[in-house]
Amino acid sequence: MSASAIDPAFREVATWNVFDANVRLGHSGVYGERALGTDDLLKEMDRFGIRRALVSHFAADEYDAEEGNNLLAEECHERLAPAWAALPDPLIIRKLATRHPAAVRLSYGVEKHNFSSAPWCSGELYEYLEEHSVLTVMAREDIEWDAIARLLGNFPRLQVLLLETGYRANRYLFPLFKQHPNLYIDTSTYVAHRQLESFVEKFGPARLVFGSRLPLYTAGAALAVLATARISDEARLSIAGGNLRRLLGRGSQ
Amino acid sequence: MRSPIPIFDCHGHLGVHPDFPACKHTPEEMLQVMDLLNIEILAISSTRACYSDCPRGNAEVAEVLRKHPQRFPGYVTVNPRPPGEALRELERWSHFHRPPLIKLHPDLHQYPVNGDHYRLIWDYANQMHAVVLVHTWESDPNCGPLLLGSVAHEFPQAKIILGHSGVTWRGYEQSFEVAASASNTFLDITGSQSHRTVIERAVARLGAHRVLFGSDMPYLEAAMVLGRVLSARISDEDREKILRANFACLLEE
Repeated sequence: MSASAIDPAFREVATWNVFDANVRLGHSGVYGERALGTDDLLKEMDRFGIRRALVSHFAADEYDAEEGNNLLAEECHERLAPAWAALPDPLIIRKLATRHPAAVRLSYGVEKHNFSSAPWCSGELYEYLEEHSVLTVMAREDIEWDAIARLLGNFPRLQVLLLETGYRANRYLFPLFKQHPNLYIDTSTYVAHRQLESFVEKFGPARLVFGSRLPLYTAGAALAVLATARISDEARLSIAGGNLRRLLGRGSQ
Repeated sequence: MRSPIPIFDCHGHLGVHPDFPACKHTPEEMLQVMDLLNIEILAISSTRACYSDCPRGNAEVAEVLRKHPQRFPGYVTVNPRPPGEALRELERWSHFHRPPLIKLHPDLHQYPVNGDHYRLIWDYANQMHAVVLVHTWESDPNCGPLLLGSVAHEFPQAKIILGHSGVTWRGYEQSFEVAASASNTFLDITGSQSHRTVIERAVARLGAHRVLFGSDMPYLEAAMVLGRVLSARISDEDREKILRANFACLLEE
């Protein structure tokens, strides 16, 4: 990543060692020209000084989990850490194990992989993820708040990263954060007025990870929110990438 | 990170909201954030008025304008119901600004922006060459951007700001369609969805002179929109129009 590739307004970001937790890769039948292949995604990351990203493949959500994982393996890059699609299926779990995952992305939604988050359906998958300390990523739109609470209660060692909580979520999030130490959220849509710095004042920086929602959103938005939060430099670096590195480091990869 | 030039922000509020706890929302706390980001002017409307009570909400705005006349121009928020209240409010608070700044929220007031009960308000806005900020959302039956096309043509002296530009990607497309057909319409880019390349598309389709910086403070995070504008691939001249000149021009006309 060369310094000249970085947008001048975002030069300070290059010193943060940013690891973006919310990026998707590849062709999309839903988002068309807004989706990006590997080279264009890396260029977009370079514009903002983003070093690394945790990525899932659009094809996994839009078509087939295993097909998406194969494409993710083909199209990945050393700067992109894969968040593999996973399903509550013994065969898929065995295939997943061969990839030595550090992170998986679960898509419960009825228009995505269409499965229950409850133990009677996904218990075996969660046991594998807990045992191997795999970061378990999911988008809020795919799972109801009560189901998140039950999941965290039933599997207290599972590290759950909830993406795209939206900015109206504090009345759900705050009780969950008080009760469940292994819950984390990304910053991509946590964008109410001064919400990020207020969260840090209440819970500290360790439970927040930077997320851009590239390639659908511009990374400039979430980065500017983090850059202008009135928090310590140490907290900013933790959110920018330190927390995600710590979470991925616990996995089997 | 802060704006390189003092911003004229077309979309702000005063007050709290029912669906999530507000952070740092007092005028004095907002002024601190405005100074942090280099927002010189924030045009505000009452959140209370948008939700439930225009007379009381507009009175709250009047008090803030009295304390901080150099930083907060005020919109008069009106509801088409009950009949007669809107024109009384517009007359009562006619000293807020000239030309009048009017805020309509057809979504929360649950009445279509092109419906009969709004006609007296539009007629007033047309006669007074008012600036009218309308909350919009993609395809909404009360505030979909496409509803404003015929309104803009029928009341050509009103300057209509499409608040949030319809919010979603498709909402922006609908807003582009309206703005391309009516030169008295403008796009406000505030919103929780930071679509990549949408500012570039707006500038290419309509010209930068039709695009306005809006933050939605203290509802949404102003830095998010600042990051979108600073990272957009547009000329510095166009960026300055969006950040300041366009809304400054509307306030002075």
